[in-house]
Amino acid sequence: MSTAPEQRRYKLTDNVDFLIIGCGASGSVLARELSRNGFSVVALEQGPWLDRKQFTHDEYRVQAQNLLTNNPQKQPTTFRKTPADKAVKQPAVIYGRMVGGGTVHFTANYWRFHEIDFIEASKKGAIAGTGFADWPITYADLEPYYTKAEWELGASGQAGASPFDPPRSKPYPLPPMPVKSSGVLFEQGARKLGLNPFPAPVAVISQAYQGRLPCAHCGFCQGFGCEMGAKSSPLPTMVPQAVATGRCEIRPHSYVRKIELDAKGRAIGAVYFDQHGKESLQHAKAVIVASNGSETPRLLLLSKSNRFPNGLANSSGLVGKYLMFNTDTIAQGTFEHELNEYKSIEVTRISHDFYEIDPKFGFYGGGGLSARFLWTPISFSFGGVPPSAPQWGSEYKKYLAKNFNRTMMVMGHGTSLPLADNSISLDDTLKDAWGLPAMRVTYKDHPDDIKAAKYMNGKAMDILEAAGALQTWSFPVGEQNLGYHLLGTCRMGNDPRSSVINSGHRTHDVANLFLCDGSSFVTSGRGQPTESIQALAFRASDRITALAKKGEI
Amino acid sequence: MDNTRRTFLAQAAASLGLMYLSGLTPEVLAQAHEHAKAASRNLDVQPFRFFTPQQAADFEAFAEQIIPTDETPGAKEANVVRFVDFALSEIEPQNKQDFTKALEALNAQAKKTAAQAASFAALSSAQQVEAMKAMEKSDDFGTLKGYVLVGFFGDPADGGNKDEIGWKLIGFEDHFYYAPPFGYYDAQAVKEKA
Repeated sequence: MSTAPEQRRYKLTDNVDFLIIGCGASGSVLARELSRNGFSVVALEQGPWLDRKQFTHDEYRVQAQNLLTNNPQKQPTTFRKTPADKAVKQPAVIYGRMVGGGTVHFTANYWRFHEIDFIEASKKGAIAGTGFADWPITYADLEPYYTKAEWELGASGQAGASPFDPPRSKPYPLPPMPVKSSGVLFEQGARKLGLNPFPAPVAVISQAYQGRLPCAHCGFCQGFGCEMGAKSSPLPTMVPQAVATGRCEIRPHSYVRKIELDAKGRAIGAVYFDQHGKESLQHAKAVIVASNGSETPRLLLLSKSNRFPNGLANSSGLVGKYLMFNTDTIAQGTFEHELNEYKSIEVTRISHDFYEIDPKFGFYGGGGLSARFLWTPISFSFGGVPPSAPQWGSEYKKYLAKNFNRTMMVMGHGTSLPLADNSISLDDTLKDAWGLPAMRVTYKDHPDDIKAAKYMNGKAMDILEAAGALQTWSFPVGEQNLGYHLLGTCRMGNDPRSSVINSGHRTHDVANLFLCDGSSFVTSGRGQPTESIQALAFRASDRITALAKKGEI
Repeated sequence: MDNTRRTFLAQAAASLGLMYLSGLTPEVLAQAHEHAKAASRNLDVQPFRFFTPQQAADFEAFAEQIIPTDETPGAKEANVVRFVDFALSEIEPQNKQDFTKALEALNAQAKKTAAQAASFAALSSAQQVEAMKAMEKSDDFGTLKGYVLVGFFGDPADGGNKDEIGWKLIGFEDHFYYAPPFGYYDAQAVKEKA
């Protein structure tokens, strides 16, 4: 399964400069930046290290065998809506579990946050019962790192195409991908409604870039690894570049159970199980946790000690709290002619017209809309058929035959408010395959998030109708019980009483422990967090490098 | 050179001129080709490992009602039953119990529909439809239907979707590269621009 290429190897007793836990969207950026800056780095990854040649279009195996994601059999989770409810065993989170992380199988939407996302609480005022707050950094602080992420990883898009775009210091390195029929129809419908559709920015290379060949339009982005290496995940970019420094070792199949401290309360490394279940302690001068917004807080909670009885770096009590999933809505439409949406990348046109929904409607929120097709043959036969159509038999078969190539969707991607009850915690009874307390997820969308999602879905339906859809329908919009954007659970802030890390990603409680991934978010953004996670990782790399060079870690 | 590779290269050569203009250079095609689909898995003569003959007959009758053979081939021709036998034996053995339970629920429903029926397969087609309608909202029905769809539309490398019957039905080509325009509306948009 796993192919670890030739790379520098470190001994467990080597006190490396940085131990990075998690080698996904952010961890691999940190590994590459810090090793390039001259530091010795070991990155522990719980999943395998796959080569692009091992990726497959086999829908069933990818899903049934969790080839790219966490495994609910080995890593069961429990779910409850509120702390008063009994948690029930069910899959509650999906995340990438491999070198490269979730960006290996993501759709590759690559949206910057806008200026408002960082300062929305002070602009709009507190929302009772929520942890709605400003970030300790602004868009201007992060802008150079958005640019860096787009250029270092390789993003395609058209600068200035959206009137709502925040300022940028450089255009995209690559032109937009060719528009698909869904993009053309979305554009026509949206323009009729007076909206401003524009080419979707994506982390897929539309032309050859930095030694990588461009997208061949195979159509298997969302949910699949890119066999071309054209999807700009860290797998064909950050990972080989980190290894090439000769200072970075990436260790797959390493499942971390605890961050160890010395008597002074400084991190000395982490204990992990290897592929054969053997426990080891890798020593390091500093530890960076980049395990995603669900596993990062879980690891801190698992790392409790006499000094930190409520979990490591948890003096605020906020580790695991303020979990945000974003909202997603799906409206579908069928058209007279063939769209053949199974070809090429999922999304080629989007709109940010409803990024901030007018407060006159009486609720907080907003988001983006994207024209797309989410389906492959098996999943279409499950999810692509309107509830009013027959669900089996000859008429069902005829429906599938006619409409697989005549269907598109408009998705809404929206805000989630930070709520203290929405959280990652340790389950009281259930254990994972390594005998560790399983992850417990508590989640109930704020009523405003549901209202905003419904509003967006209404707009999505309007666009499909304006585009001339023969039939439209939508998935019901309701409370979520499964998250794949995992945000906010170790939020950054200036006040140690109301945040877990500072604006430089250092935990308030442990000087040589840093956290950097979706858990660092203070607000949810508008449904496409990946570019922000990676911009934060580039920025954190600079901050951590500066501290280390001054001898302040 | 295996057949898959030969077909792939023939297809690529036929449209190379057009593709080159779209950025699909020979290097891109070669890289896409490294990945061209695996050969189909032939389960035609594979003895059943999971199903008893009776279970296989009951599930096949069910599968034929979900995706019937009409003007076009259906679940039967796509080898759905043999695929499920293979999948539950090799890929998802942890789901054997759920599947067996679902099949038992189908046969229990068959008995309710016609008390003297030996099993679901023994019902008339109209009775089968009646039994299925009575349980179509249940998880058991969902389990059985789900496996039919996976067997009908899945990758032929796993032994279902024989001869790409499912893919041909819906017009899905599993190529590993395509050149724009992809569909009618983007083709129109390009024409209007020109």
